[in-house]
Amino acid sequence: MSDNPYQDDRGNKDASITNPHGRGTLTSSGTQPNPMPGKDGPYLIGENMTGGYGKAGPDILHDCTISVERGEIAVIVGPNGAGKSTAMKAVFGMLDLRHGRVLLDGDDITALTPQARVRHGMGFVPQTSNIFTSMTVEENLEMGAFIREDDFASTMEQVFELFPILREKRAQAAGELSGGQRQQVAVGRALMTQPKVLMLDEPTAGVSPIVMDELFDRIIEVARTGISILMVEQNARQALEIADKGYVLVQGSNAHTGTGKDLLADAEVRRSFLGG
Amino acid sequence: MDLLNGFVALANFVLIPAIAYGSQLALGALGVTLIYGILRFSNFAHGDTMAMGTMFVVLITWGMQALGISFGPFPTALLAIPFGILGATALVLLTDKYVYKFYRAQKAKPVILVIVSMGVMFIYNGLTRIIIGPDDYRFADGERFVISARTFRDMTGLEEGLAVRTTQVITVVTAVIVVAALFWFLNKTRTGKSMRAFSDNEDLALLSGINPERVVLVTWLIVASLATVAGVLYGLDKSFKAFTYFQLLLPIFAAAIVGGLGNPLGAIAGGFVIAFSEVGITYAWKKVLTYFMPPALEPDGLVQILSTEYKFAVSFVILVIVLLFRPTGLFRGKAL
Repeated sequence: MSDNPYQDDRGNKDASITNPHGRGTLTSSGTQPNPMPGKDGPYLIGENMTGGYGKAGPDILHDCTISVERGEIAVIVGPNGAGKSTAMKAVFGMLDLRHGRVLLDGDDITALTPQARVRHGMGFVPQTSNIFTSMTVEENLEMGAFIREDDFASTMEQVFELFPILREKRAQAAGELSGGQRQQVAVGRALMTQPKVLMLDEPTAGVSPIVMDELFDRIIEVARTGISILMVEQNARQALEIADKGYVLVQGSNAHTGTGKDLLADAEVRRSFLGG
Repeated sequence: MDLLNGFVALANFVLIPAIAYGSQLALGALGVTLIYGILRFSNFAHGDTMAMGTMFVVLITWGMQALGISFGPFPTALLAIPFGILGATALVLLTDKYVYKFYRAQKAKPVILVIVSMGVMFIYNGLTRIIIGPDDYRFADGERFVISARTFRDMTGLEEGLAVRTTQVITVVTAVIVVAALFWFLNKTRTGKSMRAFSDNEDLALLSGINPERVVLVTWLIVASLATVAGVLYGLDKSFKAFTYFQLLLPIFAAAIVGGLGNPLGAIAGGFVIAFSEVGITYAWKKVLTYFMPPALEPDGLVQILSTEYKFAVSFVILVIVLLFRPTGLFRGKAL
């Protein structure tokens, strides 16, 4: 595993002296707080990304390019282990890139920490542990707006309009909600920073089909307000139906790229991976 | 009349001392639980942080007494507490800067930090002994009793006396104020909520723009204040001795774990559970029982389950029982 002796606890599992709950695992490839000015192009693009986890880990992404335009929905799909989530994490700076760069609105943000990217208008909803379970729904949203100095009441109102169930449950601990409601809290929390790009890592994992359709509808609504959406999805067919742009990744490289409709119509994509 | 006398004896020898002791343990356990919740390790240096904080207060109290400053009927030490908190805060912040910060940067596993805190404990331990000495020191002054046993007997005409010491009243009142302030801070303020968020999910807190170093700083500030206040209240109630404060670590940890580590409400409940058990099991019940029982059944022995030397065994036994049957503590632990 790690060769840092400080990270070896020799199998200690004693929760009466160490707290196993909620420890940070976030790794950051970036070091800088500010982007480098660059050129025009797609609103957010991860260009020719090659890299893997850790300084010495094997490459998972190979020359992979992901981009999304303003107000568009881009979806990354692909078989298990294709590096979908990894590609998204690379765009968000949680991965060491050996080649390639990430541009946001033309500015080079490759050297930025994930936290710094949040301040520059990117919102990220991780697949798991994406809410503060012990805090109320309202507190979750407040924490989402932590970096904002201005009054965020109107943003919270917008989130409540988007997800009416959250208004009802605002005083309830988020950990007590159902899977679909938790995802709504998670997306709501990310929206509180008023991001320009919202990145969702499998937002429909573990929710029922009805809730899934509902979530997709909400995501379309968010995109209509001008926020770009970059999304990794297991449910490829439904996701591509709402996508302006789709990326099919296979073994860490771009296998097919096109509009959602094109990919759904593509015979090879259908055969190899949508199941006919 | 016998029943009434029995209740008065019970209050005098068990209830009032246990409530005061429980408040002191609760304040200590709150500090332990905050560190556990936010820095994610059990801080073995907490007893000695209390000792250092109290030592500052004792020294300043002596200085004030020498200068003739007094606080009327209240102990002068109350005036010295803010200075003691400053001293303790400086101490823990320096420790954090030069010791703990390195391990955080290494992303060291919490168990490493537990061992590190033991090292810090020994350093504090030695520092206290070098600066003030290893002996027993008294620094309480002002009015000794709110009601003395004699006054109570004269007032009520009962055989049993009820003594309420000033320090006991101050302990309970201070504990209530401090706990209320802490809960208000954690639940209502932005910084307090960010501490809870950090405790709940560090990654997500980071992604929400919460600065971890600031959360850690505020945590140490609160912990240093809690430790100093708890230490001074204990010292006023009994006396200040470096070794006793080191030993307090056990009941404090027991309180925090019994209540559910990481849960502030649990720390308070745990403090009282431990205090009442300790006092109840080491108290010779003969006197109280004599009032409640018919003369024929009057007990022969002292009805003392354990001698007071074994009071730490009580914390241990409760700790073991709770860990066996309810490992997460009485309240659900592991989150602020």
